[in-house]
Amino acid sequence: MGKDKKNKFKTPEGYFENFHDRLMDKIHSEENPQSESLIPKSDGFAVPEAYFEDITPALIAKIEAKDTKVISINSYKKYYYSIAAVAAVLLLFFGLTWNSNSEITFDDLASSEIDAYLESTEFSLSSYEIAEVVADENLELFDMLDNTLGEENIMEYLDENVEDFEDLNLDYDDYE
Amino acid sequence: MIAEETLVQELKQKESQAKAFEVLVNTYKERLYWHIRRIVLNHDDADDVLQNTFIKVYRNIDGFKGDSKLYSWMYRIATNESLTFLKQKSRKAGISDEELKMSLVENLQSDVYFEGDEIQLKLQRALATLPDKQKLVFNMKYFQNMKYDEISAALETSVGALKTSYHLAVKKIEAYLKAD
Repeated sequence: MGKDKKNKFKTPEGYFENFHDRLMDKIHSEENPQSESLIPKSDGFAVPEAYFEDITPALIAKIEAKDTKVISINSYKKYYYSIAAVAAVLLLFFGLTWNSNSEITFDDLASSEIDAYLESTEFSLSSYEIAEVVADENLELFDMLDNTLGEENIMEYLDENVEDFEDLNLDYDDYE
Repeated sequence: MIAEETLVQELKQKESQAKAFEVLVNTYKERLYWHIRRIVLNHDDADDVLQNTFIKVYRNIDGFKGDSKLYSWMYRIATNESLTFLKQKSRKAGISDEELKMSLVENLQSDVYFEGDEIQLKLQRALATLPDKQKLVFNMKYFQNMKYDEISAALETSVGALKTSYHLAVKKIEAYLKAD
Protein backbone atom coordinates (compact mmCIF):
# COMPACT_ATOMS: atom_id res chain seq x y z
CA MET A 1 0.00 0.00 0.00
CA GLY A 2 2.01 2.95 -1.33
CA LYS A 3 1.37 5.95 0.81
CA ASP A 4 2.57 8.35 -1.87
CA LYS A 5 0.17 6.99 -4.44
CA LYS A 6 -2.83 7.65 -2.24
CA ASN A 7 -1.77 11.11 -1.15
CA LYS A 8 -2.73 13.72 -3.71
CA PHE A 9 -1.53 16.68 -1.67
CA LYS A 10 1.75 18.37 -2.36
CA THR A 11 3.96 20.51 -0.20
CA PRO A 12 6.31 23.28 -1.33
CA GLU A 13 9.85 22.18 -1.94
CA GLY A 14 11.94 21.98 1.18
CA TYR A 15 8.86 22.33 3.41
CA PHE A 16 9.79 19.55 5.82
CA GLU A 17 13.46 20.45 5.80
CA ASN A 18 12.97 23.91 7.32
CA PHE A 19 9.79 23.16 9.29
CA HIS A 20 11.71 22.89 12.54
CA ASP A 21 13.35 26.29 12.10
CA ARG A 22 10.08 28.00 11.32
CA LEU A 23 8.39 26.33 14.27
CA MET A 24 11.13 27.52 16.61
CA ASP A 25 10.84 31.06 15.22
CA LYS A 26 7.12 31.03 15.92
CA ILE A 27 7.57 29.75 19.46
CA HIS A 28 10.23 32.39 20.05
CA SER A 29 8.01 35.20 18.79
CA GLU A 30 5.12 34.07 20.99
CA GLU A 31 7.33 33.94 24.03
CA ASN A 32 8.79 37.36 23.24
CA PRO A 33 5.85 39.40 22.05
CA GLN A 34 7.98 42.51 21.54
CA SER A 35 9.74 40.92 18.58
CA GLU A 36 6.47 41.00 16.66
CA SER A 37 5.19 44.23 18.12
CA LEU A 38 4.89 47.66 16.57
CA ILE A 39 6.93 48.97 19.43
CA PRO A 40 10.54 49.62 18.38
CA LYS A 41 13.20 47.50 20.05
CA SER A 42 15.42 50.44 20.86
CA ASP A 43 14.30 53.75 22.29
CA GLY A 44 17.08 55.80 20.71
CA PHE A 45 18.81 57.14 23.81
CA ALA A 46 22.57 57.59 23.68
CA VAL A 47 25.24 58.73 26.12
CA PRO A 48 28.39 60.82 25.60
CA GLU A 49 31.47 58.83 24.72
CA ALA A 50 33.21 57.24 27.71
CA TYR A 51 30.46 58.50 30.02
CA PHE A 52 30.31 55.24 31.98
CA GLU A 53 34.09 55.12 32.37
CA ASP A 54 34.24 58.70 33.64
CA ILE A 55 31.35 58.53 36.05
CA THR A 56 33.10 56.33 38.64
CA PRO A 57 36.09 58.64 39.31
CA ALA A 58 33.77 61.66 39.18
CA LEU A 59 31.52 60.15 41.85
CA ILE A 60 34.41 59.11 44.07
CA ALA A 61 35.83 62.63 43.88
CA LYS A 62 32.43 64.01 44.80
CA ILE A 63 32.09 61.69 47.79
CA GLU A 64 35.57 62.58 49.03
CA ALA A 65 34.92 66.29 48.61
CA LYS A 66 31.64 65.97 50.49
CA ASP A 67 33.28 63.94 53.21
CA THR A 68 35.64 66.77 54.04
CA LYS A 69 32.92 69.37 53.90
CA VAL A 70 30.21 67.36 55.56
CA ILE A 71 30.85 68.57 59.12
CA SER A 72 30.47 72.20 58.29
CA ILE A 73 27.36 71.66 56.18
CA ASN A 74 25.65 69.51 58.73
CA SER A 75 26.45 71.74 61.66
CA TYR A 76 25.31 74.71 59.62
CA LYS A 77 21.99 73.04 58.96
CA LYS A 78 21.72 72.03 62.57
CA TYR A 79 22.25 75.59 63.78
CA TYR A 80 20.17 77.20 61.09
CA TYR A 81 16.95 76.68 63.03
CA SER A 82 18.53 77.65 66.34
CA ILE A 83 19.89 80.88 64.87
CA ALA A 84 16.57 81.64 63.24
CA ALA A 85 14.79 80.96 66.54
CA VAL A 86 17.21 83.09 68.55
CA ALA A 87 16.94 85.87 65.99
CA ALA A 88 13.16 85.75 66.15
CA VAL A 89 13.15 85.84 69.95
CA LEU A 90 15.65 88.71 70.07
CA LEU A 91 13.66 90.64 67.52
CA LEU A 92 10.46 90.13 69.46
CA PHE A 93 12.06 90.99 72.79
CA PHE A 94 13.81 94.13 71.62
CA GLY A 95 10.88 95.12 69.47
CA LEU A 96 8.66 95.13 72.54
CA THR A 97 10.99 96.56 75.15
CA TRP A 98 13.59 98.63 73.44
CA ASN A 99 13.36 102.34 73.74
CA SER A 100 13.58 103.77 70.26
CA ASN A 101 15.83 106.63 71.41
CA SER A 102 18.57 104.27 72.47
CA GLU A 103 21.71 103.82 70.50
CA ILE A 104 22.08 100.82 68.31
CA THR A 105 23.66 98.03 70.27
CA PHE A 106 25.49 94.93 69.26
CA ASP A 107 22.46 92.73 69.93
CA ASP A 108 20.25 94.85 67.77
CA LEU A 109 22.78 94.89 64.99
CA ALA A 110 23.31 91.19 65.21
CA SER A 111 19.66 90.28 64.81
CA SER A 112 19.15 92.64 61.91
CA GLU A 113 22.33 91.36 60.33
CA ILE A 114 21.14 87.81 60.75
CA ASP A 115 17.78 88.69 59.28
CA ALA A 116 19.37 90.40 56.30
CA TYR A 117 21.70 87.49 55.83
CA LEU A 118 18.89 84.98 55.92
CA GLU A 119 16.85 87.05 53.50
CA SER A 120 19.59 87.79 51.01
CA THR A 121 21.44 84.51 50.95
CA GLU A 122 20.42 81.91 48.45
CA PHE A 123 20.49 78.65 50.38
CA SER A 124 19.67 76.65 47.29
CA LEU A 125 17.72 74.29 49.49
CA SER A 126 14.26 73.37 48.40
CA SER A 127 11.59 72.70 50.96
CA TYR A 128 11.98 69.00 50.13
CA GLU A 129 15.66 69.14 50.99
CA ILE A 130 15.02 71.00 54.22
CA ALA A 131 12.35 68.46 55.09
CA GLU A 132 14.87 65.70 54.53
CA VAL A 133 17.32 66.98 57.14
CA VAL A 134 14.71 67.66 59.78
CA ALA A 135 13.92 64.52 61.69
CA ASP A 136 10.17 64.48 61.99
CA GLU A 137 9.54 61.32 63.98
CA ASN A 138 9.20 63.07 67.31
CA LEU A 139 8.18 66.42 65.99
CA GLU A 140 4.73 67.89 66.18
CA LEU A 141 3.67 70.83 64.06
CA PHE A 142 3.03 72.87 67.18
CA ASP A 143 6.59 72.40 68.42
CA MET A 144 7.58 74.85 65.74
CA LEU A 145 4.75 77.30 66.04
CA ASP A 146 4.10 79.64 68.92
CA ASN A 147 0.79 80.70 67.53
CA THR A 148 -1.82 78.41 66.14
CA LEU A 149 -2.54 79.01 62.49
CA GLY A 150 -5.90 80.54 61.77
CA GLU A 151 -8.15 78.68 59.41
CA GLU A 152 -8.10 81.73 57.13
CA ASN A 153 -4.31 81.59 56.82
CA ILE A 154 -4.41 77.90 56.02
CA MET A 155 -7.07 78.34 53.36
CA GLU A 156 -5.18 81.25 51.86
CA TYR A 157 -1.98 79.22 51.74
CA LEU A 158 -3.66 76.23 50.14
CA ASP A 159 -5.43 78.48 47.65
CA GLU A 160 -2.15 79.98 46.51
CA ASN A 161 0.04 76.93 46.59
CA VAL A 162 -1.95 73.85 45.77
CA GLU A 163 -2.79 73.23 42.16
CA ASP A 164 -4.24 69.81 42.37
CA PHE A 165 -6.27 69.02 45.41
CA GLU A 166 -5.67 65.33 44.90
CA ASP A 167 -2.08 66.03 45.99
CA LEU A 168 -3.41 66.58 49.48
CA ASN A 169 -4.63 63.00 49.72
CA LEU A 170 -7.73 64.13 51.52
CA ASP A 171 -10.12 61.51 52.59
CA TYR A 172 -13.28 63.09 51.29
CA ASP A 173 -15.52 60.89 53.42
CA ASP A 174 -14.34 62.89 56.43
CA TYR A 175 -15.69 66.07 54.96
CA GLU A 176 -19.10 64.92 53.94
CA MET B 1 31.22 39.40 41.38
CA ILE B 2 31.31 40.22 45.04
CA ALA B 3 28.49 38.95 47.22
CA GLU B 4 25.93 41.57 48.08
CA GLU B 5 26.06 41.06 51.84
CA THR B 6 29.85 41.39 51.90
CA LEU B 7 29.61 44.56 49.87
CA VAL B 8 27.07 46.07 52.27
CA GLN B 9 29.29 45.19 55.25
CA GLU B 10 32.29 46.77 53.56
CA LEU B 11 30.31 49.88 52.75
CA LYS B 12 29.43 50.26 56.41
CA GLN B 13 33.04 50.06 57.59
CA LYS B 14 35.14 53.18 57.37
CA GLU B 15 38.35 51.49 56.22
CA SER B 16 36.81 49.50 53.35
CA GLN B 17 34.17 52.07 52.41
CA ALA B 18 35.93 53.82 49.55
CA LYS B 19 36.89 50.66 47.73
CA ALA B 20 33.47 49.11 48.25
CA PHE B 21 31.80 52.24 46.93
CA GLU B 22 33.82 51.96 43.75
CA VAL B 23 32.66 48.37 43.31
CA LEU B 24 29.07 49.42 43.96
CA VAL B 25 29.21 52.21 41.39
CA ASN B 26 30.83 49.98 38.78
CA THR B 27 28.27 47.24 39.34
CA TYR B 28 25.14 49.35 39.17
CA LYS B 29 25.97 52.54 37.27
CA GLU B 30 24.71 51.43 33.87
CA ARG B 31 21.53 49.78 35.07
CA LEU B 32 20.59 52.71 37.28
CA TYR B 33 21.56 55.23 34.61
CA TRP B 34 19.18 53.70 32.06
CA HIS B 35 16.44 53.42 34.63
CA ILE B 36 16.79 57.11 35.50
CA ARG B 37 17.33 58.25 31.92
CA ARG B 38 14.05 56.69 30.84
CA ILE B 39 12.25 58.70 33.49
CA VAL B 40 13.94 62.09 33.10
CA LEU B 41 14.78 61.65 29.35
CA ASN B 42 17.59 64.23 29.17
CA HIS B 43 21.19 63.02 29.62
CA ASP B 44 22.42 65.89 31.82
CA ASP B 45 19.45 65.50 34.14
CA ALA B 46 19.99 61.73 34.27
CA ASP B 47 23.64 62.32 35.15
CA ASP B 48 22.66 64.66 38.03
CA VAL B 49 20.04 62.27 39.37
CA LEU B 50 22.38 59.27 39.06
CA GLN B 51 25.09 61.06 41.06
CA ASN B 52 22.58 62.13 43.71
CA THR B 53 21.30 58.56 43.89
CA PHE B 54 24.76 57.11 44.55
CA ILE B 55 25.57 59.84 47.07
CA LYS B 56 22.31 59.09 48.86
CA VAL B 57 23.08 55.38 48.88
CA TYR B 58 26.54 56.09 50.29
CA ARG B 59 25.23 58.44 52.98
CA ASN B 60 22.38 56.18 54.01
CA ILE B 61 24.02 52.78 53.84
CA ASP B 62 23.95 52.54 57.64
CA GLY B 63 20.19 52.76 57.47
CA PHE B 64 20.03 49.86 55.01
CA LYS B 65 18.78 46.97 57.11
CA GLY B 66 19.07 44.27 54.48
CA ASP B 67 15.33 43.47 54.56
CA SER B 68 15.32 43.91 50.80
CA LYS B 69 18.02 43.38 48.24
CA LEU B 70 20.56 46.13 47.79
CA TYR B 71 19.73 46.62 44.12
CA SER B 72 16.00 46.95 44.78
CA TRP B 73 16.72 49.49 47.52
CA MET B 74 18.89 51.41 45.06
CA TYR B 75 16.22 51.23 42.37
CA ARG B 76 13.72 52.66 44.84
CA ILE B 77 16.04 55.55 45.66
CA ALA B 78 16.71 56.14 41.95
CA THR B 79 12.98 56.09 41.15
CA ASN B 80 12.13 58.49 43.98
CA GLU B 81 14.99 60.81 43.09
CA SER B 82 13.92 60.88 39.44
CA LEU B 83 10.26 61.54 40.17
CA THR B 84 11.08 64.21 42.77
CA PHE B 85 13.47 65.79 40.27
CA LEU B 86 10.69 66.05 37.69
CA LYS B 87 8.27 67.48 40.25
CA GLN B 88 10.78 70.15 41.24
CA LYS B 89 11.48 70.92 37.62
CA SER B 90 7.83 71.45 36.77
CA ARG B 91 7.34 73.54 39.92
CA LYS B 92 10.30 75.76 39.03
CA ALA B 93 9.04 76.21 35.50
CA GLY B 94 5.53 76.90 36.79
CA ILE B 95 3.94 74.23 34.61
CA SER B 96 2.01 71.05 35.34
CA ASP B 97 3.68 67.62 35.45
CA GLU B 98 1.94 66.67 32.21
CA GLU B 99 3.11 69.81 30.42
CA LEU B 100 6.64 69.14 31.60
CA LYS B 101 6.58 65.54 30.34
CA MET B 102 5.43 66.68 26.91
CA SER B 103 8.03 69.43 26.72
CA LEU B 104 10.77 66.95 27.69
CA VAL B 105 9.74 64.71 24.80
CA GLU B 106 9.69 67.62 22.34
CA ASN B 107 13.16 68.67 23.53
CA LEU B 108 14.47 65.26 22.44
CA GLN B 109 14.28 66.41 18.82
CA SER B 110 17.20 68.76 19.40
CA ASP B 111 18.99 66.50 21.92
CA VAL B 112 22.41 65.38 20.67
CA TYR B 113 22.16 62.28 22.86
CA PHE B 114 18.90 61.14 21.35
CA GLU B 115 19.42 59.15 18.20
CA GLY B 116 15.87 58.02 17.69
CA ASP B 117 13.83 58.73 14.59
CA GLU B 118 10.15 59.53 14.20
CA ILE B 119 8.98 56.16 15.56
CA GLN B 120 11.08 56.47 18.70
CA LEU B 121 9.82 60.00 19.26
CA LYS B 122 6.28 58.75 18.86
CA LEU B 123 7.03 56.03 21.39
CA GLN B 124 8.20 58.68 23.88
CA ARG B 125 5.05 60.71 23.24
CA ALA B 126 3.01 57.59 23.92
CA LEU B 127 4.96 56.88 27.12
CA ALA B 128 4.41 60.46 28.30
CA THR B 129 0.65 59.86 28.27
CA LEU B 130 0.90 56.84 30.60
CA PRO B 131 0.56 56.96 34.40
CA ASP B 132 3.98 56.86 36.11
CA LYS B 133 3.62 53.26 37.28
CA GLN B 134 2.72 51.89 33.83
CA LYS B 135 5.56 53.80 32.23
CA LEU B 136 8.05 52.52 34.82
CA VAL B 137 6.94 48.91 34.46
CA PHE B 138 6.99 49.10 30.69
CA ASN B 139 10.52 50.51 30.54
CA MET B 140 11.85 48.09 33.14
CA LYS B 141 10.36 45.07 31.40
CA TYR B 142 10.61 45.96 27.73
CA PHE B 143 13.88 47.86 27.55
CA GLN B 144 15.74 46.74 30.66
CA ASN B 145 14.59 43.11 30.44
CA MET B 146 14.00 42.91 34.18
CA LYS B 147 12.07 39.99 35.61
CA TYR B 148 8.70 40.61 37.22
CA ASP B 149 9.95 39.62 40.68
CA GLU B 150 12.84 42.07 40.37
CA ILE B 151 10.49 44.87 39.31
CA SER B 152 8.14 43.85 42.11
CA ALA B 153 10.88 44.29 44.72
CA ALA B 154 12.04 47.59 43.25
CA LEU B 155 8.59 49.16 42.96
CA GLU B 156 7.04 47.42 45.97
CA THR B 157 4.11 46.25 43.88
CA SER B 158 2.75 42.72 43.49
CA VAL B 159 3.71 40.71 40.42
CA GLY B 160 0.03 40.40 39.46
CA ALA B 161 -0.48 44.16 39.50
CA LEU B 162 2.73 44.64 37.51
CA LYS B 163 1.60 42.22 34.82
CA THR B 164 -1.67 44.11 34.50
CA SER B 165 0.18 47.43 34.31
CA TYR B 166 2.55 46.08 31.66
CA HIS B 167 -0.27 44.64 29.58
CA LEU B 168 -2.21 47.92 29.74
CA ALA B 169 0.90 49.91 28.87
CA VAL B 170 1.64 47.76 25.80
CA LYS B 171 -1.96 48.04 24.60
CA LYS B 172 -2.01 51.83 25.03
CA ILE B 173 1.36 52.30 23.35
CA GLU B 174 0.41 50.10 20.40
CA ALA B 175 -2.88 51.97 19.99
CA TYR B 176 -0.98 55.27 20.10
CA LEU B 177 1.56 54.09 17.53
CA LYS B 178 -1.15 52.81 15.19
CA ALA B 179 -3.09 56.07 15.30
CA ASP B 180 -1.84 58.88 13.09
